[in-house]
Amino acid sequence: MSDQSPDNETPASTSLTNAATIAGGTGEPIITVQGVDKFFGDFQALSNVDLVVGKQEVLVVIGPSGSGKSTLIRCVNHLEEHTNGTIIVDGVELTKDIRNIQEIRRECGMVFQSFNLFPHMTVLDNITLGPRRVRKKPKVEAEAAGMELLELVKIPEQAKKHPGQLSGGQQQRVAIARALAMEPKVMLFDEPTSALDPEMVKEVLDAMQDLAESGMTMIVVTHEMGFARAVADRVAFMADGEIVEVGTPEHFFTNPQEERTKLFLSQIL
Amino acid sequence: MAPDGQAAPPGIAGGGELGTAIAAEPPPRRGAGQGIGTIFRDNLFKDAKNSILTLIFGGVILFVLFKTFNYVFITARWEVIYNGPLEFYMVGKDFGRTGISFEMLWAGIYTAVLAMGIGSGLGYDPEAPPMRRGARMAMIGGPLVGIVFILSMTRTITPTLVTLGVAVAMVVGNRIGRRLPQPIRRRSGWILLAMTALAFGLITDFTPSNIDDFGGLLLTIVVAFAGIALSFPIGVIMALARRSTFPLIRPLAVGYIELVRGVPLISLLFMGQFAIGFLFPPDANIPGPIFRAIIMITLFSGAYVAEVVRGGLQSVPAGQIEAGKALGLSPFTITRQIVLPQALRNSIPALIGQFISLLKDVSLLVIIGLQEMLGVVDVVLARREFVNQGYVPEAYAFVGTIYWTLCFSMSRAAQRLETRLGVGTR
Repeated sequence: MSDQSPDNETPASTSLTNAATIAGGTGEPIITVQGVDKFFGDFQALSNVDLVVGKQEVLVVIGPSGSGKSTLIRCVNHLEEHTNGTIIVDGVELTKDIRNIQEIRRECGMVFQSFNLFPHMTVLDNITLGPRRVRKKPKVEAEAAGMELLELVKIPEQAKKHPGQLSGGQQQRVAIARALAMEPKVMLFDEPTSALDPEMVKEVLDAMQDLAESGMTMIVVTHEMGFARAVADRVAFMADGEIVEVGTPEHFFTNPQEERTKLFLSQIL
Repeated sequence: MAPDGQAAPPGIAGGGELGTAIAAEPPPRRGAGQGIGTIFRDNLFKDAKNSILTLIFGGVILFVLFKTFNYVFITARWEVIYNGPLEFYMVGKDFGRTGISFEMLWAGIYTAVLAMGIGSGLGYDPEAPPMRRGARMAMIGGPLVGIVFILSMTRTITPTLVTLGVAVAMVVGNRIGRRLPQPIRRRSGWILLAMTALAFGLITDFTPSNIDDFGGLLLTIVVAFAGIALSFPIGVIMALARRSTFPLIRPLAVGYIELVRGVPLISLLFMGQFAIGFLFPPDANIPGPIFRAIIMITLFSGAYVAEVVRGGLQSVPAGQIEAGKALGLSPFTITRQIVLPQALRNSIPALIGQFISLLKDVSLLVIIGLQEMLGVVDVVLARREFVNQGYVPEAYAFVGTIYWTLCFSMSRAAQRLETRLGVGTR
C-alpha cells in the first residue's frame, strides 16, 4: 500500500512457492500486485493478493470457479476496480484517473472467454480500430500491420469477413490479433478456450504458445493443464480469493504442497 | 399427376404427398415444378375440412373483392378528387398565397428525391444476394398502386410526366450513389444533408415562413420529415443521457422522457399553439403555427425514440464495452464506434414503427386547425358543389390510400435496410 517502486518488491526468499518470485523471462517485474482486496457488495472476491509478474514471463492461473482468477486479471486492466491494495503495471500505478487507466489498458491486451469481437465490423476493422483510434495510426499502416497479425494467427483469408461468419477458434484467434494490434507489453487471457468446441481448442492454444515463445509477457487464466505444463514459467493456484500456491509447472504437477492444491489437481487431472 | 411428376426435379418427384412425408427436406417452393392443379389440391382441397374452409373464405374474399371493384370503378364519385380540388389535397388551399411557383416546388422535390436515391444507392452491396422476387414486387408494386391511383384522379398530363420525372430522379440518384468514389462516399452524409437543406430551401422559396401557408400532402410530408429528422438525434441523445453516470444529466433525461410520454400529443399540440403565446411578450417574434407544431411533434416523438434506442442500447452485451475498454478506447469512441451502431441496428424495427406512427400523428394537426391532408378533406367537402352530397367516403378513401402508400413504402424501405444490415443474423 506504500508507493514503493516495483524494484524494491523482489523478496529475498527464493522458494518456488512464493508469489513474488519471478521465473523465466528477463527477471524484471512488469506487473506488481500488492495486498489487493476486491469486494462485490459483501462478497470478497480477492483477499490480500500479492503477485509479481516478470517481463516475458508466462504465468498460468488455475483454480476452481469462483476462486477469483478472472477477477484478478480484470483488476489488472481495471475492468474491475480493486477495493484495497496497489497494482503497478510497467511502472505506472493504477488509480481512478481515467487517463491513467487508459494508459495501462493500452499496455495490456486482453482476450476474453466469449471473444467479444465487434459483430458489425469486418475482422480487419476489428483489429485496426484500436490502433487507429488510440495510437492514431494512419489507416493504411494499421491495415498492413493488421494483415501481418492475421498471418501470425494463420487466418489472413478471413480479413474481410464479419466475425459471425467465422468458427469459434477463428474468432478467438482474431481476438488475439486484435489485442496484439495495440502492441501491448502484457497479454491477459481470461479462459480463452472455455467457450470453444473441443476440436478448436488446439488452434487457439497453438497461437498462444507461438506468442509465448516470441517473448510476450502473459497471464493466462485457463483450465488447460497441458498448456500450463508445456508453456508456463510459473503456475499460480487460486482458491477462495487467495493465491494458495505458486510454483514452476514441474513443482506444481509433481509435488504440490498445499492440501487445497492437491485436492483440486486430483479432481481435474 | 403425370405431367407434374415429369416437370418436377427428381428429388421432389411426385409432388406434395412425398414432400410432406420427408420432414427433413424443405418443402419445394410453390410453383417450382408443380402444376396449378397440384398446388390447388395440396393447399386448398386436401381433405373435407380443408375444402369447407377454402369455400367459406374463398367466398368471403370474392365478395369483398367484388364490392371493392364495384365501389372503385362504378359507384364511387371521384369528382370530389379530380374535379378541381386535387391541388388542395396535394399542397393545400393557401399554397397560392405563398407565391411559390410549381416549378420551384418540383425543383425542390426532385432535389429531395435525388438525395433519397443517392442514399439508397450508397447502401447498395454488390455481394448481397438479390432480393427475392416477391419482396421486389411488393416493394415496387405497393407504392405503384397508390401512385397510379392518385394520378388517375388528374385531368392533365403534367402530373403524370412530373411523377415520371421523380421516378427517373430516384433511379438516377441510386446509380450515382452506387458509383460514388470512396473519398466522396466518406463525406456523403454532409452531401445528403446539404441536398436536403437545398430541397427544403427550394420548396419554401428560401423563405421558411412560407411554410405557414402549406397544406395537404405537402404539409404532411414536410412536418413528418422534419419530425423524424429532428426527433431521431434528440432521442439518441436522451437515451444516452438516461444511461449517463454524470450527476443531473440522467434525472433531466428521465424527467423529459416521462413528462412527455405522460401526456397525449393533442395536449402538447394545443400547448404549442395557444399556451406558448402567454410565455412571450405580445410583440415577440414567435414562430408560426406550423413551426410550433413541428417542435411539439419532435419533442413528443423524441421521448419515444429515446426509449426505443435505450432498448437497443441494453441489447448490446456488456462484453462489447469491456472489449472496447480493454483496447484503451475512450468512452466516446466506445459509444460511437461499438455501442451505437449495434444498438441502432437492433432498434430499426421499433424505430420504423415509431416513425410510421409519427407520420400518421401528423393528421392530428387538423384538430389545431392546420390543413394537412385530413384538414383539406373538410375544406373540400364544405365547397358548394360537394357539400351534403355524400362525398365523405370517396374523400377519405383517397386520403387513406395516400397515407397507406407512404407508410407501406417506409415499412418496405426499413425491411430492406434490416436485411442489408443483417438484423437478427449477425
